[in-house]
Amino acid sequence: MIKIKDKFRQLQKLNKKAFIAYVPFGFPHPSLSRDIFLTLRDSGVDIIEVGIPFSDPLADGPIIQQASNLALKNGANLPLFFDEFNKIKDTVDIPVAVMSYYNPIYRFGLKKFIKKIKEINIEALMLVDLPLEEAEEYKKSCAEAGIDTIFFITPTTSVERVKRIASLTEGFIYYISVTGITGPKNLQLQNLARKIREIKRITSTPVCVGFGIHTKKQVKSIGRFSDGVVVGSEIVKFIAENYKKKNFLKTLHKHIKTLIP
Amino acid sequence: MKLPDKRGYFGNFGGKYIPETLSLCLKEVEDSYRKIKKSSRFRKELNHYLSRYAGRPTPLYYARNLSDYLGIKVFLKREDLLHTGAHKINNALGQAVLAKFMGKKRIIAETGAGQHGVAVATVCSLLGFKCDVFMGEEDIRRQRMNVFRMKVLGAKVIPVRSGSRTLKDACSEAFRDWVTNVSSTYYLIGSVIGPHPYPLIVRDFQAVIGKESRSQILKETSKLPDYLVACVGGGSNSLGLFYPFFKDKKVKFIGVEASGLGLNSYNAASLLRGKLGVFQGTRTFVLQDKFGQIQNAHSLAPGLDYPGVGPEHAFYKTIGRARYVAVNDKEAVEGFDMLSRKEGIIPALETSHAIYYLKRMAPKNKNKVFLVCLSGRGDKDLDIVRNFKKSKK
Repeated sequence: MIKIKDKFRQLQKLNKKAFIAYVPFGFPHPSLSRDIFLTLRDSGVDIIEVGIPFSDPLADGPIIQQASNLALKNGANLPLFFDEFNKIKDTVDIPVAVMSYYNPIYRFGLKKFIKKIKEINIEALMLVDLPLEEAEEYKKSCAEAGIDTIFFITPTTSVERVKRIASLTEGFIYYISVTGITGPKNLQLQNLARKIREIKRITSTPVCVGFGIHTKKQVKSIGRFSDGVVVGSEIVKFIAENYKKKNFLKTLHKHIKTLIP
Repeated sequence: MKLPDKRGYFGNFGGKYIPETLSLCLKEVEDSYRKIKKSSRFRKELNHYLSRYAGRPTPLYYARNLSDYLGIKVFLKREDLLHTGAHKINNALGQAVLAKFMGKKRIIAETGAGQHGVAVATVCSLLGFKCDVFMGEEDIRRQRMNVFRMKVLGAKVIPVRSGSRTLKDACSEAFRDWVTNVSSTYYLIGSVIGPHPYPLIVRDFQAVIGKESRSQILKETSKLPDYLVACVGGGSNSLGLFYPFFKDKKVKFIGVEASGLGLNSYNAASLLRGKLGVFQGTRTFVLQDKFGQIQNAHSLAPGLDYPGVGPEHAFYKTIGRARYVAVNDKEAVEGFDMLSRKEGIIPALETSHAIYYLKRMAPKNKNKVFLVCLSGRGDKDLDIVRNFKKSKK
């Protein structure tokens, strides 16, 4: 178990940037999740971001929508998630963050949920549809439990908001590279670099970039001006296309390696 | 106390549960609305279209035959006589004129049965907007005529293939489009749902129903009615009727939800069967499973087929200001027939839920005055009713 903060410190000493991998829990099937997460760890991923599948994922593109649907169809739910993660909590020695829409957690009970993820060594929580206006109780409960709260900043977030978001964020800031949903095609690196530099002038919290990152080349160039990247749709797509094939975990391992510089 | 509060809450309900990317769009809509709604130029233009184009004010009609039959006094607020055949045009015009004042070029909307989509396509044609309507693939199959109507009006209908391929998914897809095309596009939501400020904006534009009704019934009977009755899906026609009577404590509000195949089976009764949740931007009652996954709603009336409900209704329910009840598919068809036969008015299937409920209330409320929102006309539902009757034979 290692705090996200310490992970970034380690990486900094090695002059490396964080490679964060996103995969929804239960995708393609809850019985495969443990192996997939262990494979991510072994392939050199620095932080795992595990998604809680939701029936109506407003901020996601088709790839992650389909993955969530498949996970739900195959029986993914919160109790199963706690069980499966409990089995690997001592083996996964890199930080794990949970990404979710609010309703499944609201239904389960926010405080109860925070207590549960603390027990299975999860370090951080990010809620897609809980903007800072609604986050007061959430922030307080997470702080009490020692769970990092990761908030999002987008190209349209004002400087004033960036300041408020930065002050609530623990772990790293998730910078969304485009105004849009997950899995976009074109990234404009110049604008991106400018935006990240602006944010870094405001806060010393690490800033990682997600949405639309598909290649090692992108990972490398974005690493030059940020503290790391989140790769989601690309990995999810790879899993969707390959999980029925022989030696799936081996090919996944290889594929992740080709993404990390 | 003025509701919603600054954060968009009606008591414990409402708010703005949205991805960060949407926060700028919503703020822009909120700020513009606050400013523009006060301008006389805006009011003048909107009133012009409401009266000359859409047909306001609509009559309040005393339904003598139905009243005699049931032994109560029934007044119908004739929103079915509006252009495009339902109350939806009030909101579509209001928001489209707002979008025009905001300088937007393109309007997007979600639609289930297609009524809101048709209203939006209509006002876009009138005001010169590019118009894209998101519609679940499943709904497109069920509502071919409305799809064609939208196309005739120059709108593009975009099939939604995600999730259950119905209204809630069309709504999600419209949000996804909006996030991607913020600067050019206005999202015209069709009911009192979604994140703040939409529940407020849609209620304000529909409140014309209640304002007119209030002065019309006072003129006609010299007193306020005993009951207001309206159907509730997302809840825009009912809230439009109820809201201007909020302070008239003696006037009781009855909101009629769709219990579909039954309250313990597939239904669309979010207030009666939903649990508190956070869905499509707002905290309200939502049909969901025990893990917080959203369930599909069912009603024979396509316009009631939504698993959530406006947060202001959730508030009215909690404080006891309104009473919510449910009518099932079969009873709704009975209401549909009853009004058609007694008054020569074919009501929308949604509205038929409210009509049927009068029958249930009548025995204990002799001679009481009921003001009902006749939210839409039923031509669009003839096929559904015919098939329903065929399947029951």
